[in-house]
Amino acid sequence: MTKITQNNIDTLKACRYCPMCRQSCPSEFISYRESDAPRGRAILLHSVYLGGKEFDSSAIQAIYNCFLCGACKSWCSGQELGGYDIPELIKFARRDIVSHGLAPQSVQEIRNSLVENDNTRNLDSKLSCTALVVEKTADVLYILGEGVNYTNPEIAEAFIRILGHQQIQYTLLKDEPTSGKELDLLGYRKEAQEKAKNMAGRIKAAGCKTIVVSDPLVYDALKNDYPAWGLKLESEILHVSEYLLSLIRSGKLKLKPTQMKVTLADSEFLGRNNGIYEAPREVVRASAGENFAEMQWHHEYLQSAGEAAFTFDGSAFKRGEELGRKISIKAEDINAEVIVALSATAKNNIAATTGLRVMDIVEFAANLMV
Amino acid sequence: MFDMVLFELQDIAGKEHVSTRASDKEVYSIDYFWISEMWHDRQAGRDITRPMADFIVHPANAEEVSKVLKVANNYKIPVTTWGGGSGSQGGALPVFGGIILDTKRMDKIYKIDEKSMTVEVGTGIIHQTLEWELEQKGLSTMHDPASARCATVGGFIAHRGTGVLSTKYGKIEDMIVNMEVVLPTGEIINTLPVPKTACGPDLNQIFIGSEGTLGVVTKVTLTIHRLPESRKFRAFIFKDLSTGLRVGQRLISENLQPSVIRLYSENETKEVIKKVLGIEKTGAYLVYGFDGKQEMVDLQMKYAKAIADQEEGEDLGTELGAEWWKNRYKFFFPPYMFHLPQCFGTLDTVATFSDIENVYNAMKEVVETRYPMARFIGHFSHWFPWGCMLYARFIIETPPEDPHEAIYLHNSIWNDALRAAMKAGGVLNEHHGIGLKLSRLTPELYGNSFQIIKNLKKSLDPNSIMNPGKLGFGV
Repeated sequence: MTKITQNNIDTLKACRYCPMCRQSCPSEFISYRESDAPRGRAILLHSVYLGGKEFDSSAIQAIYNCFLCGACKSWCSGQELGGYDIPELIKFARRDIVSHGLAPQSVQEIRNSLVENDNTRNLDSKLSCTALVVEKTADVLYILGEGVNYTNPEIAEAFIRILGHQQIQYTLLKDEPTSGKELDLLGYRKEAQEKAKNMAGRIKAAGCKTIVVSDPLVYDALKNDYPAWGLKLESEILHVSEYLLSLIRSGKLKLKPTQMKVTLADSEFLGRNNGIYEAPREVVRASAGENFAEMQWHHEYLQSAGEAAFTFDGSAFKRGEELGRKISIKAEDINAEVIVALSATAKNNIAATTGLRVMDIVEFAANLMV
Repeated sequence: MFDMVLFELQDIAGKEHVSTRASDKEVYSIDYFWISEMWHDRQAGRDITRPMADFIVHPANAEEVSKVLKVANNYKIPVTTWGGGSGSQGGALPVFGGIILDTKRMDKIYKIDEKSMTVEVGTGIIHQTLEWELEQKGLSTMHDPASARCATVGGFIAHRGTGVLSTKYGKIEDMIVNMEVVLPTGEIINTLPVPKTACGPDLNQIFIGSEGTLGVVTKVTLTIHRLPESRKFRAFIFKDLSTGLRVGQRLISENLQPSVIRLYSENETKEVIKKVLGIEKTGAYLVYGFDGKQEMVDLQMKYAKAIADQEEGEDLGTELGAEWWKNRYKFFFPPYMFHLPQCFGTLDTVATFSDIENVYNAMKEVVETRYPMARFIGHFSHWFPWGCMLYARFIIETPPEDPHEAIYLHNSIWNDALRAAMKAGGVLNEHHGIGLKLSRLTPELYGNSFQIIKNLKKSLDPNSIMNPGKLGFGV
């Protein structure tokens, strides 16, 4: 096995016998198995990296069952001092699993699809909503991300309506490629970096001043992974919620008040990885005002919407709805009428489990703009 | 035979809820017991095997539990019930293989009755999850242990758990109204609807603390309380442990009804309080707390302070008291908690006020004189009208490298320290249970009355399938 870093050893040793974050782990409370909790995964990885055991297929599956949502870090009272980082440990282990040719078939299939088609679902790029884009020079480049590009074009349409209404010149990337984020999360760093290089090149060629991103995974990649991999982007990078807020603050974008009770499903990759909690709230409050209500779990204690729930027990994308259901229940508990989501994945996972209205933040703004 | 039993279990719980995966067997072979952790920690380069289950089953309800137990009886397969796996006594370890019965799917909240102030839940619910749901309605069980985040309600019942508010609200056994229990032979029974009757022995108390040896508690109705309007704390340093114990005893006997009293020995004050709370003081740190209506709490705080002042405590104020409350779980997280390669154990016991200091001194002397490589610290955290519990701990920084030698040392300390405690008026344990760790000492604790418990076991579990090797029952 690959030599493990000291930070990962510290995490292994701290987490292997500590069950104190387990109630926060969404994967354990889908399967109810101890091996799907942070402690269980740390025990299994300890056996491999410090115990001299080989990976077996069920341990590998447990490593791929993690949603990388970071809840374990948020709920760890020793994290600040110890710096324990289960998601980083899992990502390290996945890279190691991949490097030894041990990735499960379902993961390999997603990898192949990303490499060949730039999406996780083996879809032809002609089916994407950027297939017919004609690129142009503009200050704003809007990057959709896979979910919006392939399964939720209504989110892109809503954002484009706002840009049109504001008379903002923008461009998209034709056949928008993958950012590489999904590949990296699955353990394929080399392929991820190649895709990242391609994406960075396309962005630079677009020559924009501001990159506005819908997908939290892509946002996280551009903000954190690309600089770490030496890919420097000169443009400002904003999530759509941050961009909408700037339009609202400048007085350019005005939203009608809504009388509906609105709540917000935080995003793990925007929130926990990048600290973006307030911008989407301010956008929602610009319309909902006092009708905005928090669910029981929010900010750093958010419930995962399954943004990185690629595989679970070898079944790709099957468990996202179970995460969405947990959010729906909490929204219904507070009698919300609208759930605002921050990614296509979250929107789909939540909408599949509730009769409440579920919309992306750009749809919320587009529907209410004056 | 294995494959035949597998199919029977799958028919009961569903294929996805029966695991024979290597990863599950490995993870369910380690709970919070030091020996199981050490055994795993030192596997590199050694021919070490840990006892592992053959099947891990996740039943959804009492009916499924019942069917699993009937299969287990048919084939005489050991069954070990597993809640959160956070027990420190090895009680959930499948030492003779067989079936691990993970209860966590039985996690429903069936009914919150705000008139009777009770909640009915499946025992597989993680306690913190229950508390969060109650909190939404301004309610709480007031059972607040550090393990709330990781342990199940059933786990607390299995080993008679307690929480930091026990001095006012009691231990888990004081909070139980009624229970649904699956007997070892598969019958599903319910205890009486209320616990305070004159209808013979209280069946609840047979199963509470039985650690999965007499059946599986699948549903429980617990008492609940309204969240208090006010909760206040105050901390003091007393010149020594004896003074601190006297203050605690007075807070109880003068009927001030504190919800929290926690007194740390001089050396734990120096080591742990400094590490977690950053308070560097010489003496014994004591924090007390009250909750309820604001005016009543203020009055209780006033009278409590008067006692502390009379005993010449150095007042650290309410803020440093509240700081303890805020950080009360932090003690149990890494890097604050003791951890391998250290060898450590919590020698918790309980005794009357007349005996408790002698118990502390007897255990301290035994550990420090016979085992100079060990440190001994302790605090007193659950107080009753007649006495209090001692949460003593030993810590060895560099135990023997050889795992068998390390276990021998570990067990020797437990034997000697607990025999000293029992001789001075203490018992084997107060709220962590007996499990595998203390099983051998249980007949010694009970003397000739142990036969009663053994007869009960034989009657309820004729094939001795339930958690063999634990609670002094052997196999």
